[in-house]
Amino acid sequence: MKVTFKRGVHLSYANKNATKSLPVRDFVSDEVRIIMNMHIGAPSVPCVKKGDHVLLGQVIAEPVGFLGIPVHASVSGEVTDVGTIPYLGETPVQCVTIKNDFKDEWAPLTPLGDVETVDPALIVPAIKNAGICGMGGASFPTHVKLSPKPEQKCELVIVNGAECETHLTCDHRLMLEEGERIVDGLRAVMRALSVERGVICIEDNKPDAIENMRRLCATRSGVSVQVLKTKYPQGGEKQLIEAVTGRQVPVGKLPIDVGAVVCNVGTCAAISDAIRLGRPLISRITTVTGCVKEPANLRVRIGTVAEDMIGACGGFSEEAGKVAFGGGMTGLCIPNTDIPTAKSTNGIVVYNEKDAKSIDEGPCIRCGKCVAACPIGLNPYLIKRAADADRLDEAARLSVNDCILCGCCSYECPSRRWLTASFKIVKQKLAAQAKAKGGKA
Amino acid sequence: MSEKTRLGKIFANGVISENPTFRLVLGTCPTMAVTTSALNGIGMGAAATFVLIGSNIVVSLLRRFIPDRVRIPAFIVIICTFVTMIQLLMQAFLPSLYESLGIFIPLIVVNCIILARAEAFASKKPVLASAVDGLGMGIGFTLALTLIGIVRELLGNGSVFGVNVLGASYDPMILMILPAGGFLTFGLLLGAFNAIIKKLDRKRMKEAAE
Amino acid sequence: MSLRLSTAPHIRSPRSSTRLMLNVIIALMPAAFFGVYNYGVKALMVILVSMATAVLSEFSWQKITQRPVRIRDCSALVTGLILALVVTPETPWWMIMIGSAFAIIVVKELFGGIGDNFLNPALAARAMLLASWPSVLTTHTAIVSKFGEVDAVAMATPLASNLEELGIKFSYMDLLIGRIPGVIGETCKLAIIVGFVYLILSRTVTWRIPAFTVLSAFVFAWIFGLDPLYTILSGGLIFAAAFMANDYTTSPMSSYAQIVYACGIGLITVIIRKWGSYPEGATYAVLFMNLLTPLLDRYIPHKVYGHKKTGEVKAQ
Repeated sequence: MKVTFKRGVHLSYANKNATKSLPVRDFVSDEVRIIMNMHIGAPSVPCVKKGDHVLLGQVIAEPVGFLGIPVHASVSGEVTDVGTIPYLGETPVQCVTIKNDFKDEWAPLTPLGDVETVDPALIVPAIKNAGICGMGGASFPTHVKLSPKPEQKCELVIVNGAECETHLTCDHRLMLEEGERIVDGLRAVMRALSVERGVICIEDNKPDAIENMRRLCATRSGVSVQVLKTKYPQGGEKQLIEAVTGRQVPVGKLPIDVGAVVCNVGTCAAISDAIRLGRPLISRITTVTGCVKEPANLRVRIGTVAEDMIGACGGFSEEAGKVAFGGGMTGLCIPNTDIPTAKSTNGIVVYNEKDAKSIDEGPCIRCGKCVAACPIGLNPYLIKRAADADRLDEAARLSVNDCILCGCCSYECPSRRWLTASFKIVKQKLAAQAKAKGGKA
Repeated sequence: MSEKTRLGKIFANGVISENPTFRLVLGTCPTMAVTTSALNGIGMGAAATFVLIGSNIVVSLLRRFIPDRVRIPAFIVIICTFVTMIQLLMQAFLPSLYESLGIFIPLIVVNCIILARAEAFASKKPVLASAVDGLGMGIGFTLALTLIGIVRELLGNGSVFGVNVLGASYDPMILMILPAGGFLTFGLLLGAFNAIIKKLDRKRMKEAAE
Repeated sequence: MSLRLSTAPHIRSPRSSTRLMLNVIIALMPAAFFGVYNYGVKALMVILVSMATAVLSEFSWQKITQRPVRIRDCSALVTGLILALVVTPETPWWMIMIGSAFAIIVVKELFGGIGDNFLNPALAARAMLLASWPSVLTTHTAIVSKFGEVDAVAMATPLASNLEELGIKFSYMDLLIGRIPGVIGETCKLAIIVGFVYLILSRTVTWRIPAFTVLSAFVFAWIFGLDPLYTILSGGLIFAAAFMANDYTTSPMSSYAQIVYACGIGLITVIIRKWGSYPEGATYAVLFMNLLTPLLDRYIPHKVYGHKKTGEVKAQ
């Protein structure tokens, strides 16, 4: 039976057609720039210096703090720079630049063997040492997710293969081409958490992936495929849990509090590599699409610069107006293409000038389409009114902090109002306010 | 400022800048109820004016003797006296108008305009000023009611002061003499009146600035 | 190379305000064509005068008050068209002009323009016309003898109280295909339903309010001892449900509030038809529920994900 969550929007996924039937292509650039804060939490600290020769998979930065994970060299070669570069946020980030010698010499690896026989206690440390964080977009360190407190009991592992975003096909291709790695990774997670049930969730617009994953699940114990209705944001963690379990994650709580852990398909594949082969996370599949000559699903090393990837796809097919990391609904715009990708960069979408043109806001016609779309159940039109008047307390009372910035309201708004954009600003302001208050107390 | 211009200002205040109907939005109940014709508007206005002037004078005369704590009951008693007088007078000399105004004549007692002027003006000011204030407010009220009455009677009945002006071919807009029409006319005139006053104010400010 | 920066989402739904309004106009076309087919050129004149006046009054009002002119969103056209479809073809041109200007200026623009009116402009204008000139608006001439049978049925709509005295009986089929006297656009239920299906397919509106309106009218009519099928097929109920009850601005937002709102319309319509002095109740039922919309929005919002109970929306 197909399941889904309440509300949401039906998008056109025609823009996936460009890449969904293209096999993943390897692309290795001659230079990578690996940033230190690819995950949520304190940035890692570089432990190599300019001029060092590094091997593929060698640790180049040490983790800091509870949420920290190490960073590994994604190519072998010479470190040409350890410094800061501008990134998507306002502050520059630390970055290690490595010149590729194309030898791909692996650093010494310690494989743990088959996921079904490995000591479960070794799985989570191995995941941490492999530098794995959520590859769906949120970049939450995976080992933290897999370390529940004693009172939290996990009952179900959900693998997120919904890929509800527009444009992107990297997860789809992964499920088709390397499905066994996903199932393997899922089994590893299930064993680490000693959970009996794992489901791989796929939207019904990817029947080939569903079929392939069903075939692969048949031979393993406790894993199955759950078909989802195609609706955005089906792949949002909270929405996925609602669809699969019928439970909602209470405010301020984590999925584990309702007995569920959600992992992206890419994360599962990386976990499989970490256990079976002892390999850290050094590459991922990224969809490059939009106005590029040859859209593609590229397997790239972490830290590959966007410019190189666009070049590998034949360059722009028309004048680019806007380039974003991620799909059409949540992608982050990059100021120029000289920006490296990270562990969670699932796509690069190039928009032409026409699509990039900023849209003028019209008056709210109270059509209620935003209310009907909001998967969280908010009143976006009221929050927007509060935001426009800069009434932060009112926006907070309207639960703006529960907003997941999925973009449904902005997408649906017939007056083209910038709802999601203003909620993002309001949330930042509220966070700053709370921080200032906390500092005083 | 001479005494004359001071009194003139008080009078103009009641008619225009603090017009009880359009600016203070007081006494709206009789405004809605009786303005189905221009004549009713004038009658109601005149009755209220009489009561206003009388009560303002008496309240002003007694302002030093009325204890603060019982002033409202005292005002009401004074107003009641004048209302009873006008009620009996109208019953005797204008029976048809008395009929059409009905309950709204005795209800002048609780008309907020009259109580408001007693409280806000007459109980603090000398007799002559109070009398002029009562006259100004009364005239302002009367003009407003008459205006609303003219509009409603014209559109709703095709006549003004009972004289048919739009001709027999006019198909009267019955809505205007229904309560809904009262609200509509009142709202629209209220908006227009305030828009004009605002514009004049802005002009005056501009001139003053220059 | 300079790239633009913007916040997500980077794609927008193809349904802009203008597009939605055009969809409504397209959806009203079957009913309008049927009206013109039945009543001829005079119905067409009413429709054109009403639409032209609506656009003209919006344009002049926005010019006079120095606001941005927004006639391009086509909402005035929709208002004008709907108003034309709910009056009789005999309505004089000046009357329809007054109604149309009233709808736009008094009901819509005076309250802040598109999105801020608290009553459905076309319905409020119809109520105004009905109160002002009741005889004109309730006099229905017989339709031109297109179907051969009913041209004798002057001045009796299917809701008139003296049908039995006149010895007239309308069949369900007459009601469905519009072989009845009535206003320009409300008679042929089939044409209205065709238009409504287009609205649903083009995702312009959702099915919830119209469906619950008709359903609740059916149920309440049955409870109160009226002929349920006759109740929903006669008068303007179907038209009001399809094109007026779900007017964007004046209907509630959350799905639960929409259901309450729609059932309210059904109930009030049936009450007016059963006990009221007006033959037709749908207009007033929709207007009445329009007034309750802010309250419904406030007290029956959606439950916020992960919160325990439905909270009242306090900000207004």
